[in-house]
Formats: sequence, structure tokens, C-alpha cells
Amino acid sequence: MASWKPYTEMTVVGSRQPRIDGPEKVTGRAKYTWDQRPPGMLYGALLTSPYAAAKLISIDATKARALVGVHAVLTDVHPTGNVRFAGEYVAAVAAVDKQVALDAVALIEVKWNERSHVVTLWDAIEEGAPRVFADQENVKENDRGEGDVEAGFAEAEQIVEAEFFTQVQTHSPLETHGSVAAWEGDELTVWDSTQAVHGVREGLAKALAMPANKVRVICQHMGGGFGAKLGPGAYTVIAAKLAQAAAAPVQLMLSRKDQHLSVGNRPDSWQKLKLGATKDGRCTAFECTTWGSGGIGGRGGVPQPYVYQFPAWKQKHHNVATNTGGARAFRAPGRPQACFAMEQIIDEMAWTLGLDPLEVRLLNDGNETRQAQWKIGAERIDWQRWRQRQPGAGAGPIKRGVGMGASIWFTGGRGTKAQMDILSDGTVEVRCGTQDIGTGTRTLIAAVAAEELGLPIEAVQARIGDSNFPFSGGSGGSTTAPSVAPAIKVTAENGKAELAAVVARHLGIATTELTFDGGTVRTASGQSLSWREACALLGATTISVQGEWQEGLSGSNVAGCQFAEVEVDTETGRIDVIKVVAVADCGLIVDRLTTESQVNGAIIQGVSYALLEERVMDADTGRMVNADFENYKILGALEVPEIDVILYDQPERGVIGIGEPPTIPTSAAVANAVFHATGVRLRELPMTPDKVLAALEEA
Amino acid sequence: MRAFDLVSPTRLQDVSSLLEDGKGQILAGGTDLLDRLKERIDQPERVVDINGLRELHGITNGVGLSLGSLTTIADVAEDGRVRDAYTALAEAAASVATPQLRNMGTLGGNLCQRPRCWYYRSNDYPCLKKGGHECYAVSGRNKYHAIFGGGPSYIVHPSDTAPALIALGAELEIHGAQGERMLALADFFQGPRENLLSENALGLDELIARIHLPKPKASTRSTFLKFREKQSLDFAVSSVAVALEMDGESVRDGRIVLGGVAPIPWSVPAAVEQLQGRTLSSAAIDDAAAAAVEGARPLDENGFKVTLTRNLLRRALQQLA
Amino acid sequence: MSQRELDQDQGQEETASAVSRRGFLKGMGGGLLGTATVGTGLLGEEVGAAVSGPPTLSGPQRITLSINGKRTQVEVEPRTTLLEALRDRLNLTGSKEVCDRGQCGACTVLLDDKAILGCMMLAVNVGEREVTTVEGLAEEGEMSELQAAFVQQDALMCGFCTPGFVVSAEALLRSNPNPTAEQIRQGVSGNLCRCGTYPKVFEAIEVAAKNRRGR
Repeated sequence: MASWKPYTEMTVVGSRQPRIDGPEKVTGRAKYTWDQRPPGMLYGALLTSPYAAAKLISIDATKARALVGVHAVLTDVHPTGNVRFAGEYVAAVAAVDKQVALDAVALIEVKWNERSHVVTLWDAIEEGAPRVFADQENVKENDRGEGDVEAGFAEAEQIVEAEFFTQVQTHSPLETHGSVAAWEGDELTVWDSTQAVHGVREGLAKALAMPANKVRVICQHMGGGFGAKLGPGAYTVIAAKLAQAAAAPVQLMLSRKDQHLSVGNRPDSWQKLKLGATKDGRCTAFECTTWGSGGIGGRGGVPQPYVYQFPAWKQKHHNVATNTGGARAFRAPGRPQACFAMEQIIDEMAWTLGLDPLEVRLLNDGNETRQAQWKIGAERIDWQRWRQRQPGAGAGPIKRGVGMGASIWFTGGRGTKAQMDILSDGTVEVRCGTQDIGTGTRTLIAAVAAEELGLPIEAVQARIGDSNFPFSGGSGGSTTAPSVAPAIKVTAENGKAELAAVVARHLGIATTELTFDGGTVRTASGQSLSWREACALLGATTISVQGEWQEGLSGSNVAGCQFAEVEVDTETGRIDVIKVVAVADCGLIVDRLTTESQVNGAIIQGVSYALLEERVMDADTGRMVNADFENYKILGALEVPEIDVILYDQPERGVIGIGEPPTIPTSAAVANAVFHATGVRLRELPMTPDKVLAALEEA
Repeated sequence: MRAFDLVSPTRLQDVSSLLEDGKGQILAGGTDLLDRLKERIDQPERVVDINGLRELHGITNGVGLSLGSLTTIADVAEDGRVRDAYTALAEAAASVATPQLRNMGTLGGNLCQRPRCWYYRSNDYPCLKKGGHECYAVSGRNKYHAIFGGGPSYIVHPSDTAPALIALGAELEIHGAQGERMLALADFFQGPRENLLSENALGLDELIARIHLPKPKASTRSTFLKFREKQSLDFAVSSVAVALEMDGESVRDGRIVLGGVAPIPWSVPAAVEQLQGRTLSSAAIDDAAAAAVEGARPLDENGFKVTLTRNLLRRALQQLA
Repeated sequence: MSQRELDQDQGQEETASAVSRRGFLKGMGGGLLGTATVGTGLLGEEVGAAVSGPPTLSGPQRITLSINGKRTQVEVEPRTTLLEALRDRLNLTGSKEVCDRGQCGACTVLLDDKAILGCMMLAVNVGEREVTTVEGLAEEGEMSELQAAFVQQDALMCGFCTPGFVVSAEALLRSNPNPTAEQIRQGVSGNLCRCGTYPKVFEAIEVAAKNRRGR
């Protein structure tokens, strides 16, 4: 079975390798879906529903069609005419430029019959609330549990109960969703800002009722997805149909407003938790009632109990539908919500019992890796010193504190296939139908291939982002690195084996007498050829091999914990996250530089979720009122904490994904730090100044 | 944006005729206008580009200081004369938006900008300020809205330079069809009971040409504090501009103006009264801060602005002590 | 290349004195574009001041902009933003459209060394000022040391915000070659990144500043 070499024997894998596509990106040469310009391309725009619940009565696009510069108008875009959230696509236009397209959209006349809507979790669960779907209740319950919870609580010497609320968060990638569609005869090429070129090809072919082998999906560079771009979009189908109608390529990219409304979000959650423990901090029982609203998708799961294992536990969960854009997987779905509540209630238990919050966690955390990680993180942030401070202590309006949180995520990966060509001039091309969503996949592929062949990374051309290349799954679930790296290694091994056969034949020896040592081919008898010399033997031919993912080179299950230091201005309510110490297990690290960036990025999104972001709905009119980047606030340069990443190296576990896990515990660590600083617990996200001031006033 | 004609007058006296029919809107830095045009809440036939008007450029010394209305916010913030003698204005200008927007936005534009209210800025809401019948903030999402002077509209005035300039005693030189007139900035803004469709006293045919600051007194201390959720881009959730004339360590007189809490920059003379004749002791500061927020009428979601504003003013006064 | 560009006759670069006779120019007999004497705008010498009305632009115009050191002709309407002119007319797609409302900095370009937002400026307002986009920072295809520092420090991930950051950082270093850590943060405070590259962006700017001073 294949296995990785130890770090000491590797030069590319495990190093701090700058991204090979870095130069393209910093010079503006990298072409994203927004940047594609096939000859004759038209610009598309959408007409969307201003109502959260309505029946489309009629659409009159006569004036729009008559506008000079308009090449196509589609009015049958909505499948049923029964609109269920403000922002649903209702009509589409393709024109010579975006401004003309928007003029045309403004000329389309639509008649609606408005219905009653519910756009908040509270409104949707009320008795007699208007139904989002006529044939179903807004609320669907599912219960789970293990053990005897009543007995567990009876055994407890301390019980803590608390209610938590987390907000709806939108993915907000900088590149909005969108596609460019171009037909050539009956063949369709689509450039799509996507996390799944193969998934989109498959889905698109179905949606257009056409053969999948006539659809090609390309995504060389994409500007972020975070889980929202894992499948084909309605806008892709619309772009393809506009392109057909206009007999020209059409680019349809979502506006920032449409981005917030229609392509996914992280559901909110309302959680009522009850925890029981003995007075030495050992938890005996856990019970919770939870709700999550996933828009028209209806699902808002909150996996409790999270991280900690209890002898008895029960969860009554409610998935709630609302007349808002459907939820989509968003960086560790469900976990940040669950962690925010769980890590605070266990923290509250500790402080209530007069025990060290770290000790209580160590007592209840059965994960071996995390046992070690807690201690490493605690030492780095000097928890022993911070522990001395009582919550809320200290004079003056500016208060400091430290809090902690942990996470678990399942990652793992499989199924990727790849191809490799070794050319007679010694250059190498690797092809894999995966995508680089900002994680550095392109670099990972080149690094693994280069390492295996003993070449410098510059010798390998990594080609990705094309459904013409061998299958790889969508880049979600932190599965890309563990799916792709093994596949590339195996493919490279196959390539090496074929090259060995060529060399052996040439030298008249058995392949078993050959070894690859760095880029040099050596024989048992002491001969050697450079990589170039070996490849030159190919003459006019090329080595072309395939390979696929194999077991033994990757792993799953990522733990991790974080400690956050915050400063709270009790006069204004501002929370500043000063520092986050993150311990992240990551298996075999292919590229230390990009791994650090992933952890940084996850934490920054976590702080943003903790302090700033929130979809604000106007209940009366059923609309999101902050569908922009002014009032939907994502963290900026002036809010960035100092981030100290400790990569918990475990190369023996093989390659593991790390995109999601480090975003999970951040808001919990910050909330616990706020408690430590002020003596006041914030149980609602985001922890904005108004909430801080209100909580301080109540105390 | 809907298509428009772009007219670029070369002489100040040609501007009025381009505005008085109500079909023109002024383009200075464009950072507010373009947003309104893109949202299609404004669709003028004619955009009047005033950037070529010489009289509107430059910061010149006079009795005090004279700033052209087309001076960029960045230039205001970086000018040595402004920093030295008109601290509150320099601090206010430096806090506006982002570096890029400060390079583009103008002082006149900052004073004349329209509200940021999310109902106002959306074409989906025919609100009072756009000639409609309802202020959606009243029963809607109003965390960022007014705690003073609201009704029937509850917008807050988003300008940072306005409170500072009023505190420093600025006067406007306004040009229109009737010629030139001077108007104290303190008298320029108009609340919703006086004027629904705009926030100031400019006639249709008028524009601000220059902003005049009086000669600073040696005994003046001024400061500007802005509180916002994000440390850049965000408009003020609450801001305070303070300019005090000191008599040794006692306060002789001054102006305190609050931003982000009312439909117009909100002068609080009652707060100044609490300080007159006193040193900036913590008792005096507390009294002034309490007086400043006296009579606040919060909405459902913005009560925190009362505490915040009081504390912000205390902090500003502490800094001047 | 868009349908619009194919639909038109794509002119070559002309000299600065070229005058467009296309479009409809009311009030000024010939139509003199460009050459603002003060700030921006389209006023030229007082040619034709005696005729009725000030210079008016209506409908499609061909204007000349100086972009990355080259005089460049581009067809725009008054409502065309600089960003649209760059991305959709001139195929300079390095500057990105992310919010189109001046809230994110992804469209940052330099106007005579100052960082501005292409989406919030009308193309016809640029006048004689020099536009520098991210494409104009690399000389003869070689990355600037700032761009190289971004790559070395991994100050980019998906890369969509990166051109805006690089241009903002360039503006910062041109006006302040020795910025403090706080000044670096302030300098890029108008640029949003969703992937979270900020810490490494700050490092990259520090490294680039040192390298520049070393020269």
C-alpha cells in the first residue's frame, strides 16, 4: 500500500510553498467567470420577485424586447409561478451590456397576487402562521437521544439552563455566483463560479434534458464559495437558455443583492439547553430543544450534543421553513451554531461550580487528540495566569478576558481520479477535474506530483477546473485535499513506473534494478540518468497514465480548539478580539503556507460571525433590508485579531482537510472570553454593541 | 443607472439654470449620487457635473479658513491648517468611510448627502423621503435610526463633517439664481417636520460653493468621536463633535453637536450650559452628558444609542480635559 | 470580447489631440473632450463659450483615457462607470466587480497615484488623469516587488480581492514608503477579503516596503 515519506525525506510536500497561481492572481491575469469574454458575449440580468410570497399572474415583456440592444428575454423562468421568497428569479434578459439589460428588466411589467408570508423563525412557528408550503407544516420535528436523561439529571448536583440564539449568515463570497454559457451546435460550454465542475455538468445536463457528454464546465479560478457553490444554479440554466434564444454566449452573474437573497445561507438557531453535572464538574445529562430555520429549504440542523459526550442526552429539534432563500451548506454546517451554545453552557457550568473551565472540559472531553490540544493552547495563551482573574474583575470601563472552545469535524475524502502525461522534454502535466476555491488545490497537486517524481514544482503543470478532466468530487466538507492528494500520488507513482519501464528496456535491465532518487534515475550497477535524459528516451511518444484515490494516504476526523482574548469597552459595548490561539490538527501537511492561510481565514470568518454578520429581515414586507456590503458587515482589516496558529502535526494520519474545522469554535471562544472579561454572558449572535450594552445594563 | 445627459458647466453662474427645473442633480465626487442612480431611487434626466468650477476648489486662508465645496475629504483630513486649528474637523474627515472614498468624496457632498436608511436606499420601499406615505422604520428595523427629532421620518443624518463644522461655527457660501448668500451651517439642516424631501435649506437652484470657518480662538479645544460597528466604511451609529472655548481650565462657552442620532446634526446647548463656568471635572462631564440625551425618544431597537451617546460625549469631554 | 465590441468599429489608439465627432454634442459646435484645467470634468479652453449652453454629453461617445501609460480610446455613455469601461470595453478584467456600490474596494484603481473606486466614477469624468490598474503595476510582465511579496507571503487565497488590495497597497507605499503597522491596516481598510488573507496582506506590505526602501 502506498504511503507518504517522512517530512525529513520530502522537499516539496510539507514545505512553505507559495501558490503556483499566485503570480496570475496578483497581476490580474487570472480569469474568473466574471472575466470570461467569449466572442459576441451578451450580458444577462434577472428580474426577481419583490414579494416573499406571491402568485405570478402575468408578465409582459413587450417593452423590454423592443429596447435597442436587447437580444433575448425569458419570461418562463419560474417553474410554477408560485413565489416563496423575495429574490426568486422570475424573468431574464440578455443584452449588449449590463446597463441595457437592467433597463430592459425595469421595463418588464409583472402582475402579482401577494400572499401572507413568514420570514422569521418566531413568526413561522406561531400557531396558525401562514404556511410556506401549502401542503406542509412550517415545522418538522425530529427527536434523538441516548440513555436515561431523567436519571442523569437526578444524579446531577448542579443544573444549568440557558437559551441561545444565532443569526442567519450569508456566504458572501467576493465573486458572486454566475455562469457564462456558450453553445456550439448542440454542445454547451459553461464557465461557472463553482466548487464542483463535475457536479454542475451532471446537474446541468439533467436540467436541460441533454446528454451529459455534450456539456463542459470550466472553472479555472473562482472567487470563493464556502459551501454555496456545490451544485448547478438556476442562473446557469437561465444563462444557457438565454444563450440559445440569443444565439450568442451569455454571461449571467448575480448582483450582490441577489447573492445575499437567493443562493444560500447558514440557518439561524434557537437553542434551549439544560446541562447537569456533579459538583466536581462531571456532566451527567444533557437535554435540548432546538429550532433552525432554513428558508424554503426548511432544514436548519444543529448537531447537539456537540464535542462533549454525555452518558445520557436528548435533543428535540425542529426544522422550520420560512419565506426566505433556502439554506445551503456553509463552512461546517450546523457546527458553529451548536458550538456557540454547548461551549457556553459548559463554561457556565464550570464557573457556577467554582471550577476551572479548562479542567471541566478536560474532564468531559473524550477525544485524545483534543486532550493534548487543550493543554498546548492553554499554555500558549497563558491560561494559568488568566485563570486567576474572576469574571468581570478589574477597574475601568475596558475589560479583558480569555475564553475557549473546541470542535470536531469529519472530513475525509475519496473518489478522485487523475491523469498524468510525462513528456519527452521532461515536463509533466497533471489533469484532475477538481477545483481550487482559494484553498490552494492547484499547488497541492503540483507539489504532490513533483515530490513523487523528484522534480522541482516548476516542472509540473497542474490542470484543474474542467469537467473534461477526470472525476473529482465537489470541494466541500473539507474533502478536497484528502481526496486529491492520494489520487495525484498514485497517478505519479504510475507515471514513474512507466518511465522506469522505458529506462529499463533501454538499458536492458529489469525495472527492479532501478531507483528514483530525487530527479535522478539510478541503476543497481551505478549508472544514472537525469530526469531529462530519462524522458528523452521517450522520443516521439508520451507517457500517459491514470490513477485514482487509494486508502491509506488520507484520514478523517479533525479535532481542534481555540482560545480567544478579548477586550470589551463596557461604555460603548464594543468587543475587540485581541488574539486567537488555535490548535489545529491537520494530518500530513502538504503546504504549510496555504494551511496556515486556511486556518487564519476560518478564524476570521468565525470572528466575523461572532461580532458583525447578520441577515436583517423586515417582517412586515418580507425582505432582507441589508443585502449589500454596507449593512451586511463582514470583517475588515481593522477588526483582525492577532492569530497564532499551532499546527498539530500528525503526518501518520495522512492528508486531512482543514477548511472548515477552525471556523467552528471561534464564536464560542469569543463569547466565553466576553463572559470572563465582563461577568456578563452574551447568548445571542452577533455580539454587537447594542446587545453588549443591554446585557450590561440588565446585570 | 437610467441613461442621463451629463452637463458640465464651466461657469458658476450657469449652474442654477441647470438645476431649477428640478430635472438635474449635482455630480461632485459621485459617491452618493452613483449609489442612488444605481438603485434607481433617483433618475434625473440631467446630471450636472460641477467638477470643473474653479471657485469650488481649494482651501484658502481668509479671516479663518475657506474650503471649496469640492475639496476632497482626504484633503480636508490632511491639511495642516485644518489639523492645527480645527481639530474636530480633521478628526471627522479622517473618520469618513474608507481611504478610497475619502479620495473621491467632497466636503460639499458630505454635507448634502442623502440618508443611508435601508428603506430609503431601496427602490422596493416608497417611503416618506421619496414622496411616499410611510416611514417603514417606525414599525420595522430601526436599530440605526433616530432617537432625537424623529417624525414623521426617522432617518439619521449620516454626515461626520457636519457636526464638527457646526461645532466650529462654520458658515456656508451658497450660490443660486438670486446670487450669493451666506448661511450658518447650524441653520442649514432641516428635519422631517420642516422638510420631507430633502434634509437642508438649499433651493432647487442652489449649491454650496464654499465653507467658511471663523478664525480659531487660541483657547478653543475641539474633538470629534465617532462610534460605529465596523472600524471602517460604516457610518456613525453615534458621533459627538465638541468645540469648547476655555477660560483657563474653565469652560466659557462652546458647541456640542451629535451625529447619527437625529435627522439633522443635533446641537445640544443644554449640555454646554452644564459646563459653562465649570472645569471639566467628572461631575461636570456627567451632568453635560446626561443633559445631552435628555428627552431622547428611542424606537424599538435603538435604545442603546442613548447610553452609547451619553458615554461617547463623556469620553470626548474627558479627552478635552 | 463582447457583442458590443464586435458590433462596433474598434478604433486604434489615437493621439491626445484627437477629437471625436461621434455622439451628439449639444451646445458646443465641435466637441472638445478631455483636458480638464482644474480637477476633473470635460471643460477645455473657453472655445465656443459664446455658443448656447455648457458642454453636454448624451448617448454613446468615444473618449480617450490614459490607462497604464497608454492613450486608449473607448466608447462609453455618460452613465458608464470607469470600472465598466475597463472590464467590459477594454477587457482589462483585473479590477473586479464585487458590490458595485463602493463598499468593498475590489475595483480599486489609481487615479494619478490616488486609490479610487472604479465603480463609483463615471468614465467620462476621468479626463486627463492617469489611470493605473493592477495590470499596470507589473513592468514588462515582471511582477512588482509588492506583487511578488503578496505571492511569497501567501497574501492571497481565492484571489478575487487581491487586485484591489495590491492597488490600495501600492497607493499607500507611494504616499508613505515607511508605513507603521497601524498605517498599513488603515491603508487597506477600504478593501474587504472574505477568505481572510488580512494578516498575510499586512506582512506582504511590510516586506515590500522594506524591499523598496532597500533599493
